[in-house]
Amino acid sequence: MKRRGRGIACMWYPIGFTVSANPSAATVKVNEDGTATLLTGTVETGQGSLTVLGQIAAEELGIATDDVHVVSADTDAMPMDTGAIASRTTYVTGNAVRLAAEKAKWILFEAAATLLGVKPEQLEARDRKIQVKGYPQRSIAISEAAHRAQVVLGQPPIGSASWNPPTVAMDPETGQGKPFSTYVYATQIAEVDVDDETGEVEVLRIAAAHDCGTPINPMLVEGQVEGGISMGIGFALQEQILFDGAGRQINPNLTNYIMPTSLDMPEIEVDIVDSYDPTGPFGAKGVGEPTSVPTAAAILNAIHDAVGVRITSLPATAEKVLAAIKAKQAQGTKGLLRNR
Amino acid sequence: MTKKAKVADKTQSTTLRTPGSAGDLLRLPAVTLPVAFPVETLVPEVRLQTPAVGQRATRPDGRLHGLGQTRYIDDLAFPGMLHAKIKRAGIAAARIRSIDTREAEAMPGVLAVLTGREIPVNSFGPSLQDQPVLADERVFHAGDGVAAVAALTEQIAAEAIEKIKVEYEPLPAVFDPLEALREDAPRVHAPDSNIYASKVIRKGDVDAAFARADHTFEGQYRTQMVEHVPLEPHAAIAMWDANGRVTIHTTLGRITLGRADVARTLKLPLNRVRLVATIVGGNFGGKNEITQEPVLALLSKKTGRPVKGVFTRGEEFASSTTRHPFIMDYKTGVSKDGRIVARKVRLVLDGGAYCSWSETTLGKACILSAGPYRIDNLHVEAYAVYTNKTMTGAMRGFGAPQVCFAYESQMDEIAAALGMDPLEIRLLNAFEEGSASPTGQALHSVVLKDTLRKAAERFGWKEPRS
Repeated sequence: MKRRGRGIACMWYPIGFTVSANPSAATVKVNEDGTATLLTGTVETGQGSLTVLGQIAAEELGIATDDVHVVSADTDAMPMDTGAIASRTTYVTGNAVRLAAEKAKWILFEAAATLLGVKPEQLEARDRKIQVKGYPQRSIAISEAAHRAQVVLGQPPIGSASWNPPTVAMDPETGQGKPFSTYVYATQIAEVDVDDETGEVEVLRIAAAHDCGTPINPMLVEGQVEGGISMGIGFALQEQILFDGAGRQINPNLTNYIMPTSLDMPEIEVDIVDSYDPTGPFGAKGVGEPTSVPTAAAILNAIHDAVGVRITSLPATAEKVLAAIKAKQAQGTKGLLRNR
Repeated sequence: MTKKAKVADKTQSTTLRTPGSAGDLLRLPAVTLPVAFPVETLVPEVRLQTPAVGQRATRPDGRLHGLGQTRYIDDLAFPGMLHAKIKRAGIAAARIRSIDTREAEAMPGVLAVLTGREIPVNSFGPSLQDQPVLADERVFHAGDGVAAVAALTEQIAAEAIEKIKVEYEPLPAVFDPLEALREDAPRVHAPDSNIYASKVIRKGDVDAAFARADHTFEGQYRTQMVEHVPLEPHAAIAMWDANGRVTIHTTLGRITLGRADVARTLKLPLNRVRLVATIVGGNFGGKNEITQEPVLALLSKKTGRPVKGVFTRGEEFASSTTRHPFIMDYKTGVSKDGRIVARKVRLVLDGGAYCSWSETTLGKACILSAGPYRIDNLHVEAYAVYTNKTMTGAMRGFGAPQVCFAYESQMDEIAAALGMDPLEIRLLNAFEEGSASPTGQALHSVVLKDTLRKAAERFGWKEPRS
């Protein structure tokens, strides 16, 4: 018989490296027509980071996502980057990109200031225009400012910058210190069906509420959450590298190493909670890794809720769950006998 | 007859004949045919709107994926390109007595063979340089590479590595991390200890707090070794130019550090090494450090041709990093109203044969192991241990999914014993703005309780259960 259960798990997770420096650098070049090119040394590994970095550059320059072309991943031509690791790209590389765009923007402000009859400090970039703060009627197109900067004044609007999260080393005796600049938080709640005759677990639904600071691109955050949950399900229920007695893997293939497919995916409801981190670019933190952190814990708690057995070693395969159910039933029977 | 037609004839006759000499295979067209796709693009409105931040902007690479136009490493081909294969040890711990490559070298179509002794600096690693590019004197786990071949085709290279004869002297091995901790256990990297990294966090007075606690809970939790399983396996192409610069197209997610590792192993100045990454087909932490790049570079140097290497799925499992199995002992003291007053955690990480990203994983796991809870009295100790198994390294979460499984399992056990709702006990102990972390850091922008309440609301946690 299928028994339904629910389980909750929450987590915290840091952004960036533990204490050690993990800087990123970036270069933003505004073209004569007000479009821009972003150079970054990070690599798109499928998470959509280049889109997010482009949005950050665009936001700082007051232009649209499509106005920024992002070039990446060539050590000959790109500024250094610690890379796609530690959920750091949006936060660390994002901060570098924002600072680089800010420098390029300042050159645009200087070019626009004389035309608008104000000081550069009085300007802001918005909706593809350079405009006077508090008096947006006085503005010029960003293309005009960019063209003037490069072609008239001979000052191409290019900015380069780097950023590294501030940390404090940990005391070797007590571990006290500030190993990370910031952390994100999340809760996932899983609903499962456990078949008490086969031990098979089906994950029906997961409600996932995540903090990533202010999301730069909510759609890509949702994509990360869904992908992270699929990895979490595999970790919870199926995946395991097995070794023979001589230390050789016995299932190094996708026939015998079982991982979730689209058919195993539950209904996922993603919420991004309101959050703003003043240390991140436009309030953003990160989201890559944390999405798969609480999934297994939530599923295992749901299994316990459903059939009353606590599996303390992953993965909770059907065999393992069934063995635990049987052990519990045997104990229950013994208890009954004793009570009689 | 036109030139184009001749090429077509040649292709046809080659496929009709039984696969013949390597020379025929070389003349097969190596460049994929152009695919028609619309160049006039319609940009979605969401990419044209300002302000840019907060927009659900579509990804430019999504269009390439959809049209099948994304060029992964295996989609790249260069004139005269060779294919490499690496021979894997298949034995977990051994001394290499000899490597006989003569038969492989004599095979038609084999252009070069490489062994570990030919690598200028045969070690790498992000914190400890304990991993050979190709094992030269000793084998530390079954997935170690011991020799490599560059040949005209992948098939010839695969056949050639079978012809390489390696004579091993088996050494005692250890596979269980708890056994590896013992003084008398075989030392994986003798004479060094099997414990290659450890970390401690101490806060408050744990013993006194346990003495005051109304209830104490103890449990051991274990997790398994898993693979990242990216759709695209590790792949790279290396080639040199006449100025002695090497260019490597690779699936690495971290090219700045990859370049440093390649330059170090090849003993080259950094400005003579160029790493180019394409869109990587899945990383999840598994493509954070070099694997075969120096091997391909050296094979390319020997042959003067571009050399491509693509891991098989089997190599992806056995010869790249995996997630650390954890053994986690938790002891938690709780007051009768459900507040955690003391926690003691001991973590043993199965580090496999090499350190890789174990130090980072150990550090993060240690810091995160107490959970996102206000706990004044805490003692965490953690060890990363060598075993003669596949190396463990960076993987999405760096130890966090493992410790979360432990602290959240125990949280439910505590709630059940005290008759509390699992949501309420978490809200009672959760971090708040300004809470002190286990390392004494004052936390900012803490929205943990918001995530708990939001998920509970979305799930319908408080609604009556059917």
